[in-house]
Amino acid sequence: MTSTPTAGARPDEVRRHNRTALLRRLHVGGPCTRAALAIELGLNRSTIKALVDGLAESGVVSERVPRARSGAGRPSLLVLPEPLAAVVLAVDIRVEQVAIALVGLGGQLLGRDSWNLRGRAGEPAEIITRIIESTRLLAEELDVRMVAAGVSVPGVVRRGDGYVHEAPNLKWTDVPLGDRLTGAFGVPVRVGNDAEIAALAEHLRGAAKGSLDAVYVAADIGVGGGVISDGTTLRGTAGYVGELGHMVVNPDGRPCYCGSHGCWETEVGELALCRALDLPEHSPRGVVVAELRGLTATQITTTLGDFTRWLTMGLITIVNVFGPELVVLGDLFTALPPPLVAQVATTIAERSLVSRAIGGTRLVTSTMGTDAKLIGAAELAFESVLDTV
Amino acid sequence: MSEPILELTGLNKSFGPVHVLHDVDFTVRAGEVTALVGDNGAGKSTLVKCVAGIHPMDSGAVHFNGERVSISGPRDAADLGIEVVYQDLALADNLDIVQNMFLGRERGSGWLLDEAAMEQAARETLASLSVRTVKSVRTPVSALSGGQRQTVAIAKSVLWESKVVLLDEPTAALGVAQTRQVLDLVRRLAEQGLGVVLISHNMADVFSVADRIATLYLGRMVADVSTRDVTHAQVVELITAGRSGDLGLARPENATV
Repeated sequence: MTSTPTAGARPDEVRRHNRTALLRRLHVGGPCTRAALAIELGLNRSTIKALVDGLAESGVVSERVPRARSGAGRPSLLVLPEPLAAVVLAVDIRVEQVAIALVGLGGQLLGRDSWNLRGRAGEPAEIITRIIESTRLLAEELDVRMVAAGVSVPGVVRRGDGYVHEAPNLKWTDVPLGDRLTGAFGVPVRVGNDAEIAALAEHLRGAAKGSLDAVYVAADIGVGGGVISDGTTLRGTAGYVGELGHMVVNPDGRPCYCGSHGCWETEVGELALCRALDLPEHSPRGVVVAELRGLTATQITTTLGDFTRWLTMGLITIVNVFGPELVVLGDLFTALPPPLVAQVATTIAERSLVSRAIGGTRLVTSTMGTDAKLIGAAELAFESVLDTV
Repeated sequence: MSEPILELTGLNKSFGPVHVLHDVDFTVRAGEVTALVGDNGAGKSTLVKCVAGIHPMDSGAVHFNGERVSISGPRDAADLGIEVVYQDLALADNLDIVQNMFLGRERGSGWLLDEAAMEQAARETLASLSVRTVKSVRTPVSALSGGQRQTVAIAKSVLWESKVVLLDEPTAALGVAQTRQVLDLVRRLAEQGLGVVLISHNMADVFSVADRIATLYLGRMVADVSTRDVTHAQVVELITAGRSGDLGLARPENATV
């Protein structure tokens, strides 16, 4: 909205605002009856009817009589978002693979593709070309046209134009990713830091849904985090918040590519986990997952003892700094054995004074697994299109 | 590091006078995609059928999860948690998705099938693989595209909590876009910790999903290498000539020109 608080809003602006709010509610919360929409949005039933009728006419939503009826009287119609009314492209660039998906309104994954990065395939130009080619193929197969794109990158990204300053684990510096993709697709492209994007996904659709203050911490090769503070994403100057993996926890630790020593990710990242499990570094993800699943209770305490200590230590600091009510563990951390997570949670509750003060910060693992970034990238793209659909 | 989930040693198989597999060693690790490549007639499908219990082995040992086992029929393989997906989309056309996924292993008691539970389980399995391209689990399989059928066949192996999935050219009958979606699914299976074997002729497919490449040449296992360490050209040489540089069969000492 362009209006400032002092300026009055014209009726068409109000209408537009309400339309976007209603669409966002349907997109994030899923199908909903007209009556429930009226209550949730605090709008008159006739306003809702006018809005829904307008959206239905342009094919953005459809209406259906609900299958399960509650109470007497004429049932309120169920309003459903139409997935094909707005399709966005979600791209998740990781250190060892790239995944893309076309996502419809309401968050439905319509189709997906992914490929491993090895050798030359990891160069920016190669990745961008393959993304463009794969997207065209997928869109053709599904017979859809996309209206926007969101991209997740494990690195430091300028929000305005999607310029990637540095993505060290990918060995990228100064890649105009946003511009290149906008040029190729001719739709708005938004690029974001992977952890921030995953935090957005958790906040909208995952474990942190409805939580106002939450921290998302995820391990891939690197460790990153996203912070939801007071219901919105904490970004910092120009959007560079999120390098939680580079908290220095062990001054005598291993050198980190960032130039420092003993960063948290050198103790709890995927490589550290591989070392703890006695696997070769850069083992395929599935091997690490299978190995973690096969651990017995005693092995968890013996082989993962140090890992657990470092994980706990970092998380206590995070809880003390951000004071979240909920910490969500994502990506590779979702494969950690449940007893280990429970033990970490107990230790945090004991040792963190902030956690004690707010009545216990909860620690949960994400239910989205490795898809959080992909889902979040789609949400990033939807942010810009919901008011124009 | 734990034991490989499946390990074959010294496997031999003959069909009459034709010796198809010679002392083949083959390992599958949980969480890895192992590509099994080789020219036509190299013995790829025979190897898979031996593992699946369709062909009896003439000699050789099978270790599953570190324990010696014997596979004397498809039932044994299924009980161990070995599932095979064939290239010819082996689903029953006249049945719907749920019926296909539970074919031969229907849930329920006595005369009555528990349709609701089966439908629920099928839907959850497809959701866990984030397969949302299928509209309803009650769609008859004949109405699905090739890619969707292959997806259902693969999802079946997840539903039955298989430990090892062998895919015999799962993309041979598919177009490019559908192939990619199936390969994406294959990769996600491995990421969940399953051992996956992918038979394929397509080097691009192999390189985009496989972690290891095992090459058969005229019934002999000539190389089992990490995808990281080899190039397309090397693998093609291994397939066609059985050797590439230091990889593969040893060079005969005195080759006749």
